[in-house]
Amino acid sequence: MDQNRRGARASYVALTIFLAVWIFMPSTVRRFNREAFTEFQAPGLHLVSKSRDLARFWELKSRSSEEMALAGRDLARVNAALELKLASLDDVRRENTRLREITRYTVPADYMSVVARVATRDSSSWWNRIVIRKGRNDGIRPGAPVIFGNSVVGRVTAVHLTTSEVDLVTSPGFRCTAFLEGDDQNSIVLINGLAGNSLRTPQARISVIPNDYSTGTLQSPKAFTTGMGGVFPSRLVLGTVDLDSKATKPGSSFKEGRLNPSRELYNLQEVSVLVPLHQNPGEALLQGDQFQ
Amino acid sequence: MGWAWLIMLLATYPWLLGADLASDVLARGGFVVFISGVCIVAPCRRLRPIQAIPFAACVGFLFEARRPIPDGVLAFTLVAISIFLTANKPLLRNAPGLLRGAIISNTLACTAWAAATALALSTTEAPSSNSTLTHFALQVALAALIGAALYIPISLVQNYAMDRIGVPPAADTP
Repeated sequence: MDQNRRGARASYVALTIFLAVWIFMPSTVRRFNREAFTEFQAPGLHLVSKSRDLARFWELKSRSSEEMALAGRDLARVNAALELKLASLDDVRRENTRLREITRYTVPADYMSVVARVATRDSSSWWNRIVIRKGRNDGIRPGAPVIFGNSVVGRVTAVHLTTSEVDLVTSPGFRCTAFLEGDDQNSIVLINGLAGNSLRTPQARISVIPNDYSTGTLQSPKAFTTGMGGVFPSRLVLGTVDLDSKATKPGSSFKEGRLNPSRELYNLQEVSVLVPLHQNPGEALLQGDQFQ
Repeated sequence: MGWAWLIMLLATYPWLLGADLASDVLARGGFVVFISGVCIVAPCRRLRPIQAIPFAACVGFLFEARRPIPDGVLAFTLVAISIFLTANKPLLRNAPGLLRGAIISNTLACTAWAAATALALSTTEAPSSNSTLTHFALQVALAALIGAALYIPISLVQNYAMDRIGVPPAADTP
């Protein structure tokens, strides 16, 4: 018994010394340690996620041929409608190119789109994250925007060999600028994720909304990315705006509001990562982030 | 038996992966199924401190790896708990003691990571205090409940693994 206690005292002393060494250890060592433990878990996540895909495949496979024929017919109709839309967009594209040539507008950064399946979702009061099944091996880099359709899902915060972690729009670490629909002055507002959304749909905070902004006849105005800062392309939908009179301080020249994400972020099965073809300043900042 | 801690880690990993999957399901509510504190109790009863410490550290690092938590907070908390448990084995002598140990250990570890994350976050963003405190309390309560509910199945698997690799059984009166 006494021997155990003496051993424990020695262990506590060793723990304190090791803790001190750990604190002053170069961050590279800690990052290597974190990376090693992440890579250890990656195969398990892949296996589980692929098993889910397989289960879904067999579920769809068990559908009757009549159901498949009906689904095929519906898809054919959607395809026909999309082809018409594509033709009209072609005219818009030509017009866009012509206008750019006239105004000598600088073309924004080009992106490479990488489609990735969602492996797991992880959230607490202090973060809202998803892990996707694509990583460094697929060319993904930290800071790359993650979208679904024309909606912003979040931003890649950490990249590993075969997986990446994505901070969702509602995560407290997420920040970007936006324009609000119905604002004729095109004022820039700030969006950042909100901590402490207990048992509610996660939301983000919209700040620096001009006091004279009103939603007018719009039921739920949208917030769009500005394209400034070089991380997100412009005109992507961030979500719908909910002006919150309680959050606005009396006498303040700005209003605050809440942003409801445009997609159900925790139902997504697949997302697209827009990897900039050239490194942007946001990526350089993320590479030095110790809490990735 | 120098590698007993590693074999125990491999035997425990499916539970940690299962907890991640359960966290996936609870993600909409903003909760994490936290079992790292429960996982170290049964091994601490039978393993020597030199084996229990790396095991506890690895369980902590596995949880921290994919989450934005200050490095080492959970791992060192679990190591401190494991040192205490291995030095006070009489506390884990019987079933109620073990269950109590699992609940307290899980609650303490959960409090440590939640507090550390909130502190790290407060340097960049001030969380709205009321909702964050409510969530904090709910998360810790959930961790205590999970500790009580999952201790027996987890310890069954861990004890089976320890029997297979020849770890001596815990003495009735240590």
